[in-house]
Amino acid sequence: MKKPLSSGFFVVRTKEENPPMMHIAVCVCLVPDTASVFGFSDGTLDRSRITEVINPYDEYALEAALQLKEQFGGGEVTVFSHAPRSGSEALRKTLAMGADRVVIAEGEGSDSWQTASILAHTLTSWYSAALPEVILCGRQSTDFGSAEVPGMLAERLGLPSVCAVSSLEGGEDGVFRLEREIEGGAEVLEVSVPVVISAEKGLNVPRKTSMRGVMEGRKKPVEIVEGSPVECARVGLGALLPVSNKKNCHFASDARALAGMLHERGLLQ
Amino acid sequence: MSNNTHGAEGQGCSRRLIVLEQREGVLKSTSVDLWHRMQMQCKGSGLSAVLLGPVDKENPSLQLSGPGVIHHACDERLRRYDPRLYRRIIGELFEEGGFSELLFADTALSRDLAPALSVRLGASLLSRCSALPEAGRCHRRLYSGAAEGTFVASSPRAIVTVSPSSILLQPATEFLPDILPLAVPAAAHDDLPSIVRQVVRREGMVDVAEAGVVVAGGRGMGSAEGFALLEELASLFGGAVGASRTVVDEGWRPHGEQIGQTGKSIAPRLYIACGISGAVQHLSGISGAGTVVAINRDSHAPIFEVADFGLVGDVGEVLPEFVAALKEFLKMQ
Repeated sequence: MKKPLSSGFFVVRTKEENPPMMHIAVCVCLVPDTASVFGFSDGTLDRSRITEVINPYDEYALEAALQLKEQFGGGEVTVFSHAPRSGSEALRKTLAMGADRVVIAEGEGSDSWQTASILAHTLTSWYSAALPEVILCGRQSTDFGSAEVPGMLAERLGLPSVCAVSSLEGGEDGVFRLEREIEGGAEVLEVSVPVVISAEKGLNVPRKTSMRGVMEGRKKPVEIVEGSPVECARVGLGALLPVSNKKNCHFASDARALAGMLHERGLLQ
Repeated sequence: MSNNTHGAEGQGCSRRLIVLEQREGVLKSTSVDLWHRMQMQCKGSGLSAVLLGPVDKENPSLQLSGPGVIHHACDERLRRYDPRLYRRIIGELFEEGGFSELLFADTALSRDLAPALSVRLGASLLSRCSALPEAGRCHRRLYSGAAEGTFVASSPRAIVTVSPSSILLQPATEFLPDILPLAVPAAAHDDLPSIVRQVVRREGMVDVAEAGVVVAGGRGMGSAEGFALLEELASLFGGAVGASRTVVDEGWRPHGEQIGQTGKSIAPRLYIACGISGAVQHLSGISGAGTVVAINRDSHAPIFEVADFGLVGDVGEVLPEFVAALKEFLKMQ
């Protein structure tokens, strides 16, 4: 795996006179809109009644990338997505928000390991000279929610990673100060670039797309990259079974009766 | 999954390595629970575990019962999570010990560590399993809880992270595990790519993802001040306060307390939802809860469909009465 050449934002990528340009990659996936109707037949999701949208956590990642670009007065934000090319319309929203281009990485792959491998291969071939200073991902997808791809991607690229970041500061000297929520508190971390960061809710408030943004987004490039080597899946997924959480609710007549019900069932400990 | 890894006899327990986690010198309750669930599944055959960093409060072997060995690297450098050292120590122990399965409780730490380790060890990764895997298979809720998927490891090695359960096991064995000291390699810390500088604790409250009782509020609470009632209610049980997404987006409560799709999944034995209508995104976070109690003004709120006990009423009016009644019952016990 290629090693990054730069260790800070202002290490020039080429020894030419051009000003250094910060490169930021954002990995985005498409998920079913949670307002969709989820039906299952033959052990798989019935996609006919599903609308695909950008994974909500990936919008926090993209917003962070756009804010970094503004903070440093320039740079290029490229969105990478392991998706079929039919996903390009949904992915254009990232261009309307302000990303500079979209790269769709096509390829067979269903589990996190295959997705991380395809993204890693696409990133290393796209940025042939040096990996981007910052690679941002969402903490997890809202469909499968395994939260595995960002850490796997970082390890495949030989980069450090910090997952589920809720605050991101600094970066001027190539070092970020980050916060991550942990059980009962928060961790304050420092990390030097290049780095893979996954975004938690609360990191920022993603900007809304404006009519002008949508118009400009139409003119920006969506490129298709195919031919990533196919890795064997490491996890197999069996049939999906619809689940119901429905219970038979016992209604209490008033607050005191409710407390009594809990007391009788031995739930007050 | 190869047959020798998950054979019928004791689920190949001797080849499974449990990662026990401490934070700030305290062994995590989710780790203790994972150890005891493994004891149950392995029926007395010795377990292996690794614990990184010192434990100050109580000797770890006194909190964990049942036979086995704990490889304990009791080094101050491991008190805080150090991604590189943790990966290296756990990875090397796994390789040298000839293990085939690595188990974590699903925590902030395992979510950071497990994906990278799975690449390093060439292992299948089964995340957030709803229970210990059986024969290399585990289950997880998908699509906001609308479906359950069965995941199967296809590599000879697997890393498994297990979600907390609402049913805590009471260990019933006299054996205590042996503690074996584990040496820590000298770290090359010349160019640290990432380091934990500081851990900020929120004082006083149990975390919503770990609490045995969770009391949560939604838009029906009316204001940030309305949550004082919920704090009082939670304190009766030594529980935690949680919040719906609306409440967090309004800024009434911090994101760390949010339950649901863009928040935390919880597994308390008792969950009390106050003024929460029960959007599908919220319900996906409470599928692991034991008994569910709902209080809401709207008798048609979807939260009542997943509740065991319900009360229709305005939370502002019924909660003070509910708290008073609970206090009386608790005094009687």
